[in-house]
Amino acid sequence: MVKIRLKRMGAKKRPFYRVVVADSRSPRDGRFIEEIGTYDPLSDPAKIHIDTEKALKWLQNGAQPSDTARSLLRKAGVLRQFHELRAARSKR
Amino acid sequence: MLDKTTRINLLYDHYGGLLTERQRRFVELHYVEDLSLGEIAEHFSISRQAVHDHLKRAIEQLEEYESVLGLVAKEDRRRRLVRRISEEVESLPLEEARKACLRRLIDQLAEDGEEAESGARAHPEWREGDRRHV
Repeated sequence: MVKIRLKRMGAKKRPFYRVVVADSRSPRDGRFIEEIGTYDPLSDPAKIHIDTEKALKWLQNGAQPSDTARSLLRKAGVLRQFHELRAARSKR
Repeated sequence: MLDKTTRINLLYDHYGGLLTERQRRFVELHYVEDLSLGEIAEHFSISRQAVHDHLKRAIEQLEEYESVLGLVAKEDRRRRLVRRISEEVESLPLEEARKACLRRLIDQLAEDGEEAESGARAHPEWREGDRRHV
Protein backbone atom coordinates (compact mmCIF):
# COMPACT_ATOMS: atom_id res chain seq x y z
CA MET A 1 0.00 0.00 0.00
CA VAL A 2 1.16 3.51 -0.72
CA LYS A 3 1.22 5.92 2.21
CA ILE A 4 1.54 9.64 2.62
CA ARG A 5 3.69 10.37 5.65
CA LEU A 6 5.23 13.26 7.48
CA LYS A 7 8.89 12.46 7.57
CA ARG A 8 10.95 14.34 10.07
CA MET A 9 14.07 16.07 8.83
CA GLY A 10 16.02 19.00 10.17
CA ALA A 11 18.66 19.40 12.82
CA LYS A 12 18.35 18.40 16.42
CA LYS A 13 16.00 20.74 18.30
CA ARG A 14 14.75 22.17 15.01
CA PRO A 15 12.20 19.79 13.57
CA PHE A 16 11.20 20.23 9.98
CA TYR A 17 9.13 17.77 7.99
CA ARG A 18 8.74 16.58 4.46
CA VAL A 19 5.46 15.21 3.26
CA VAL A 20 6.41 12.11 1.34
CA VAL A 21 4.72 9.35 -0.57
CA ALA A 22 6.22 6.01 0.41
CA ASP A 23 5.54 2.32 0.12
CA SER A 24 4.25 0.98 3.43
CA ARG A 25 6.42 -2.12 3.10
CA SER A 26 9.73 -0.25 3.16
CA PRO A 27 9.08 2.43 5.73
CA ARG A 28 12.44 2.50 7.40
CA ASP A 29 15.05 2.56 4.69
CA GLY A 30 14.67 6.29 4.12
CA ARG A 31 13.50 5.90 0.56
CA PHE A 32 10.32 7.44 -0.68
CA ILE A 33 8.58 7.61 -4.00
CA GLU A 34 7.98 11.32 -4.17
CA GLU A 35 8.09 14.42 -2.01
CA ILE A 36 4.87 16.39 -2.19
CA GLY A 37 5.41 19.07 0.40
CA THR A 38 7.14 20.48 3.45
CA TYR A 39 6.10 21.68 6.88
CA ASP A 40 8.15 24.02 9.04
CA PRO A 41 6.49 24.22 12.46
CA LEU A 42 9.01 26.54 14.09
CA SER A 43 8.71 29.50 11.77
CA ASP A 44 6.12 32.01 12.85
CA PRO A 45 3.53 31.38 11.52
CA ALA A 46 4.23 27.73 10.63
CA LYS A 47 5.01 27.31 6.94
CA ILE A 48 3.06 24.71 5.02
CA HIS A 49 3.88 24.00 1.41
CA ILE A 50 1.96 21.34 -0.46
CA ASP A 51 2.16 20.57 -4.15
CA THR A 52 -1.61 20.31 -4.57
CA GLU A 53 -1.47 18.72 -7.98
CA LYS A 54 0.81 15.90 -6.84
CA ALA A 55 -1.11 15.42 -3.58
CA LEU A 56 -4.43 15.10 -5.41
CA LYS A 57 -2.90 12.68 -7.89
CA TRP A 58 -1.72 10.38 -5.09
CA LEU A 59 -4.95 10.63 -3.12
CA GLN A 60 -6.91 9.73 -6.22
CA ASN A 61 -4.65 6.74 -6.72
CA GLY A 62 -5.59 5.55 -3.25
CA ALA A 63 -2.56 6.63 -1.22
CA GLN A 64 -3.41 6.61 2.49
CA PRO A 65 -2.28 9.63 4.51
CA SER A 66 -1.14 9.08 8.10
CA ASP A 67 -3.09 10.97 10.76
CA THR A 68 -0.54 13.77 10.84
CA ALA A 69 -0.23 13.97 7.06
CA ARG A 70 -4.00 14.05 6.86
CA SER A 71 -4.27 16.99 9.23
CA LEU A 72 -1.62 18.87 7.26
CA LEU A 73 -3.41 18.19 3.97
CA ARG A 74 -6.61 19.40 5.59
CA LYS A 75 -4.93 22.61 6.74
CA ALA A 76 -3.59 23.19 3.25
CA GLY A 77 -7.10 22.76 1.81
CA VAL A 78 -6.10 19.73 -0.25
CA LEU A 79 -8.58 17.35 1.37
CA ARG A 80 -11.47 19.66 0.62
CA GLN A 81 -10.46 19.79 -3.04
CA PHE A 82 -10.15 16.02 -3.06
CA HIS A 83 -13.67 15.57 -1.67
CA GLU A 84 -15.10 18.10 -4.09
CA LEU A 85 -13.49 16.29 -7.00
CA ARG A 86 -14.89 12.99 -5.81
CA ALA A 87 -18.36 14.44 -5.30
CA ALA A 88 -18.28 15.97 -8.78
CA ARG A 89 -17.27 12.66 -10.28
CA SER A 90 -19.95 10.60 -8.55
CA LYS A 91 -22.64 13.01 -9.80
CA ARG A 92 -21.73 12.29 -13.38
CA MET B 1 -2.17 16.74 16.20
CA LEU B 2 0.67 18.44 14.33
CA ASP B 3 1.48 20.52 17.39
CA LYS B 4 1.65 17.38 19.48
CA THR B 5 4.02 15.74 17.01
CA THR B 6 6.29 18.75 17.04
CA ARG B 7 6.22 19.00 20.82
CA ILE B 8 7.15 15.36 21.23
CA ASN B 9 9.91 15.67 18.66
CA LEU B 10 11.32 18.60 20.62
CA LEU B 11 11.01 16.77 23.94
CA TYR B 12 12.66 13.76 22.36
CA ASP B 13 15.52 15.89 21.01
CA HIS B 14 16.23 17.14 24.51
CA TYR B 15 15.52 14.14 26.69
CA GLY B 16 15.45 11.13 24.37
CA GLY B 17 18.77 9.94 25.78
CA LEU B 18 17.05 9.35 29.13
CA LEU B 19 14.58 6.84 27.72
CA THR B 20 15.28 3.15 27.38
CA GLU B 21 16.42 1.78 24.05
CA ARG B 22 13.03 0.20 23.46
CA GLN B 23 11.15 3.39 24.30
CA ARG B 24 13.36 5.34 21.91
CA ARG B 25 12.54 2.93 19.11
CA PHE B 26 8.82 3.33 19.57
CA VAL B 27 9.01 7.11 19.83
CA GLU B 28 11.21 7.28 16.73
CA LEU B 29 8.98 5.05 14.67
CA HIS B 30 5.80 6.88 15.60
CA TYR B 31 6.91 10.51 15.87
CA VAL B 32 9.99 10.68 13.64
CA GLU B 33 9.08 8.16 10.95
CA ASP B 34 5.33 8.68 11.30
CA LEU B 35 4.40 5.00 11.34
CA SER B 36 0.96 4.20 12.74
CA LEU B 37 0.53 2.24 15.96
CA GLY B 38 -0.79 -0.63 13.88
CA GLU B 39 2.30 -0.68 11.67
CA ILE B 40 4.62 -0.64 14.68
CA ALA B 41 2.61 -3.37 16.39
CA GLU B 42 2.88 -5.54 13.31
CA HIS B 43 6.60 -4.96 13.04
CA PHE B 44 7.27 -6.07 16.61
CA SER B 45 4.54 -8.71 16.67
CA ILE B 46 2.89 -7.14 19.70
CA SER B 47 -0.58 -5.68 20.17
CA ARG B 48 -1.51 -2.18 19.15
CA GLN B 49 -2.47 -1.57 22.77
CA ALA B 50 1.03 -2.53 23.92
CA VAL B 51 2.58 -0.03 21.51
CA HIS B 52 0.17 2.59 22.78
CA ASP B 53 1.10 1.86 26.41
CA HIS B 54 4.83 2.06 25.68
CA LEU B 55 4.41 5.38 23.92
CA LYS B 56 2.16 6.78 26.61
CA ARG B 57 4.66 5.92 29.30
CA ALA B 58 7.57 7.33 27.27
CA ILE B 59 5.74 10.60 26.68
CA GLU B 60 4.80 10.90 30.34
CA GLN B 61 8.46 10.53 31.17
CA LEU B 62 9.53 13.13 28.62
CA GLU B 63 6.95 15.57 29.99
CA GLU B 64 8.18 14.86 33.50
CA TYR B 65 11.75 15.76 32.54
CA GLU B 66 10.48 18.92 30.92
CA SER B 67 8.52 19.91 34.00
CA VAL B 68 11.70 19.70 36.05
CA LEU B 69 14.27 21.01 33.57
CA GLY B 70 12.20 23.17 31.20
CA LEU B 71 14.73 23.03 28.35
CA VAL B 72 12.13 23.02 25.58
CA ALA B 73 10.42 26.09 27.01
CA LYS B 74 13.77 27.81 27.37
CA GLU B 75 14.66 26.99 23.77
CA ASP B 76 11.33 28.38 22.64
CA ARG B 77 11.91 31.65 24.47
CA ARG B 78 15.34 31.95 22.92
CA ARG B 79 13.95 31.32 19.45
CA ARG B 80 11.37 34.07 19.83
CA LEU B 81 13.94 36.50 21.16
CA VAL B 82 16.38 35.72 18.37
CA ARG B 83 13.64 36.33 15.83
CA ARG B 84 12.84 39.71 17.32
CA ILE B 85 16.49 40.74 17.45
CA SER B 86 16.90 39.71 13.80
CA GLU B 87 13.99 41.89 12.79
CA GLU B 88 15.42 44.82 14.73
CA VAL B 89 18.84 44.40 13.12
CA GLU B 90 17.38 44.36 9.62
CA SER B 91 15.64 47.67 10.26
CA LEU B 92 18.81 49.39 11.52
CA PRO B 93 20.61 51.88 9.23
CA LEU B 94 23.86 49.91 9.23
CA GLU B 95 26.39 49.03 6.55
CA GLU B 96 25.80 45.61 5.00
CA ALA B 97 29.09 44.25 6.35
CA ARG B 98 28.15 45.08 9.92
CA LYS B 99 24.69 43.61 9.48
CA ALA B 100 26.27 40.43 8.16
CA CYS B 101 28.47 40.26 11.23
CA LEU B 102 25.47 40.73 13.53
CA ARG B 103 23.53 38.08 11.63
CA ARG B 104 26.35 35.63 12.16
CA LEU B 105 26.37 36.30 15.90
CA ILE B 106 22.60 36.00 16.06
CA ASP B 107 22.81 32.66 14.25
CA GLN B 108 25.25 31.46 16.87
CA LEU B 109 22.92 32.59 19.61
CA ALA B 110 20.13 30.67 17.92
CA GLU B 111 22.38 27.61 17.99
CA ASP B 112 22.91 27.89 21.73
CA GLY B 113 26.36 29.42 21.30
CA GLU B 114 27.63 26.73 18.98
CA GLU B 115 28.86 27.51 15.50
CA ALA B 116 25.88 27.76 13.21
CA GLU B 117 24.90 24.52 11.44
CA SER B 118 26.85 22.31 13.84
CA GLY B 119 23.55 20.96 15.12
CA ALA B 120 22.74 19.73 11.66
CA ARG B 121 26.08 18.00 11.33
CA ALA B 122 25.71 16.30 14.68
CA HIS B 123 22.57 14.60 13.48
CA PRO B 124 23.13 13.35 9.96
CA GLU B 125 20.62 10.59 10.61
CA TRP B 126 17.80 13.00 10.02
CA ARG B 127 19.01 13.96 6.65
CA GLU B 128 17.79 12.44 3.50
CA GLY B 129 18.89 9.11 2.13
CA ASP B 130 20.04 7.44 5.29
CA ARG B 131 19.48 3.81 6.13
CA ARG B 132 18.69 2.93 9.67
CA HIS B 133 17.51 -0.38 10.94
CA VAL B 134 14.75 -1.11 13.34
